[in-house]
Amino acid sequence: MSSVNSELAELSVAEAGDLIAKKAVSPVELVYACLARIAVANPVVNAYISVYEEQARAVAKAAETMVVAGHHLGPLHGIPMGLKDNIGLKDQTTTAGSKVMADWVPTRDATVAARLRGNGAIFVGKTNMHEFAWGGTSDNPHYGPVRNPWNPERFPAGSSGGSGAAVAARTCAAALGTDTGGSVRLPSAVNGIVGLRPTIGRVSNFGVVPLAWSMDTVGPMTRTVEDCAIVFNAIAGHDPNDGGSVPEPVADYTADLRKGVKGLRIGVVPGYFFNHLQPPVHDAVKSALTTFEGLGATVTDVEIENIHGNISAQLTIESTEPSAYHQKWLRERPTDYGEDVRTQLEMGEMLLATHYVQAQRYRRLLRQEFMEAFKQVDVFICPTLPFTATRVGEMKVVIENGREEDMLSAIMQFTGVPSLTGLPSLNVPCGFDHEGLPVGMQIIGRPFDESTLFRMGAAFQEETDFHRQQPNL
Amino acid sequence: MNDVTELSKMDIEVLARLAALPLPEGRPDVIRGPLSAWVKDANELSHKMSQARYLDLIPAAIFSHDSF
Repeated sequence: MSSVNSELAELSVAEAGDLIAKKAVSPVELVYACLARIAVANPVVNAYISVYEEQARAVAKAAETMVVAGHHLGPLHGIPMGLKDNIGLKDQTTTAGSKVMADWVPTRDATVAARLRGNGAIFVGKTNMHEFAWGGTSDNPHYGPVRNPWNPERFPAGSSGGSGAAVAARTCAAALGTDTGGSVRLPSAVNGIVGLRPTIGRVSNFGVVPLAWSMDTVGPMTRTVEDCAIVFNAIAGHDPNDGGSVPEPVADYTADLRKGVKGLRIGVVPGYFFNHLQPPVHDAVKSALTTFEGLGATVTDVEIENIHGNISAQLTIESTEPSAYHQKWLRERPTDYGEDVRTQLEMGEMLLATHYVQAQRYRRLLRQEFMEAFKQVDVFICPTLPFTATRVGEMKVVIENGREEDMLSAIMQFTGVPSLTGLPSLNVPCGFDHEGLPVGMQIIGRPFDESTLFRMGAAFQEETDFHRQQPNL
Repeated sequence: MNDVTELSKMDIEVLARLAALPLPEGRPDVIRGPLSAWVKDANELSHKMSQARYLDLIPAAIFSHDSF
C-alpha cells in the first residue's frame, strides 16, 4: 500500500469531508485508499462479510462528479463507510452473520442506510458480526472469527466486532453497528474507537434484523467523537416506519463539541462502577475522571439503590425476545445455528413469562432511580467493560482473583445499564493495558441528551491522544 | 421463595415439552448448567420485584398509542 493511500485511509470523517468539500481530495482517491487497506487488513482481521469493490468505485466516481459540478451533500459526501451485516441494504445480501439468512436480499434499504446514502456516504462493505448479534465475541462459525487489529490473537468483542475492527484498522472512516446489550460500545472499547448507543427511539431500527425489540438500537462507530456526532446527525430522527421511533426534535450534535466540560457534574455509583475490574481498566478510567476534574468538571458519588440485578434482567430480556423471533427457525433448522446461539435461543424458551415481566418492571425501577440521580449530576462515567480483549475463542474470562467467569454475563457488567434504562451512552478510548490493548470508558447521559456525551468526549479527546494511536497492522 | 439450585436433565425436558421445542439427545445436558445459573438470578430478581414497595411499577415495555 502506498504511503499516500495509507495517509488517506487514516483521515477522520471530519478531515476527509473537509478536503472533499474543498476539492483537495476526491471521493475516488479516498475509496481506492480504503479498498487497498481492506485488501491488506481483512485477511488478518476478517472484518467484512462482503466488500463492494466495484460498486464503491462507481459511486465514488459519481460523488466526485457531483462535487466538481458544485453539488455537495454535506460532511458525509464521499465518505467510505461499513455497515454491520444485519442492516438491510437494497439488492445486497444481508446475512445477519447467519447461515439461516445467508441468502436474504432486501428489496429496500434500512432507514439508517437510506439516510447515509442521502448524505453521500459510500458503502465499502458489510461487516462481520456475532451470529444474529446474539453474543459478545464475534466468533462467527459461518464467516470465521473477527480478530482484533491491536492483536489478531485477541477478540474484537461484539456483536458489532467487524465494524469495530474495520474502523480501527482504517479500512473505512466510520461504520454502523447495532447495540442491544452493548454491541456497539463493547467492540468500540476493545478496538480503541468511539461508539454511541443512542437513546432508545432516537434512531430508526426499520430494516434492521432484530435481536431484542425492546432494547435494540443502531449507532455510529468512528475514530473520533466529532466523527461520531457527524454520522449521528445523519441517522438521528423520527421514522414513521419504526413503531418504536420517537418524534422528538433532533439537534445539531456537533454544535457543543468545543464547549468544554467546566461545571459539568459527573456521577459515579460507589460499590459498582469501580468494583470487579482488571487493574488496568480501573486505573485508566480513574485517570480519565482525574482528567475531567482538571478540565473543570466535578465528580460525585451517587447511590443507585437497585443497580445490582441489572445483569439478570438484561439476560432475561435479551434471551427471551430473540427466542420469540427465532421460534420457527429453531424448530425447522436448529443445526443451521452456531452452538452458542442455538443454546441461548433454547434457553430463552425456558425462562418463565413472570421472569420476563419482572425484568421489564425492574427496567422501570432502574430508569426511575437514574432519572432521580440526574437531578444531582449531568452524566455518569464508568468502564465500558471490566476487562481488555481476551483470546479469540474464549468463552470464559478472568477478571480478578484468578477466577474464571462466564463471558456473556461478565461482558455486560456496565453496558446493561443503558440498555435497560434506554439512556444514551458513549464509549471513548481512555488508555491501554500493559499489552497495548485498548481500554474504554462509558459516558451515560439523560434521555435524548447525546449532545452532552459528545461534548464530554470531545473535550477528553482534545486533552488526550489515545484515539490518535493506531494498531500496527 | 424457594431457591432453584440445579436444574436436572428431566427439568429441561419438561420445559422443552411445555414450549413444544424438540430437543435432540444431548441438548438438555448442554442447556442445564447455564440455564440453572440464569434461573437462579432471575428468581432473585423476581423476589426483589415482588416486594410491596414495588407493586405500583408497571413493565417498561407497555402498549403505546404513539407506536401505531
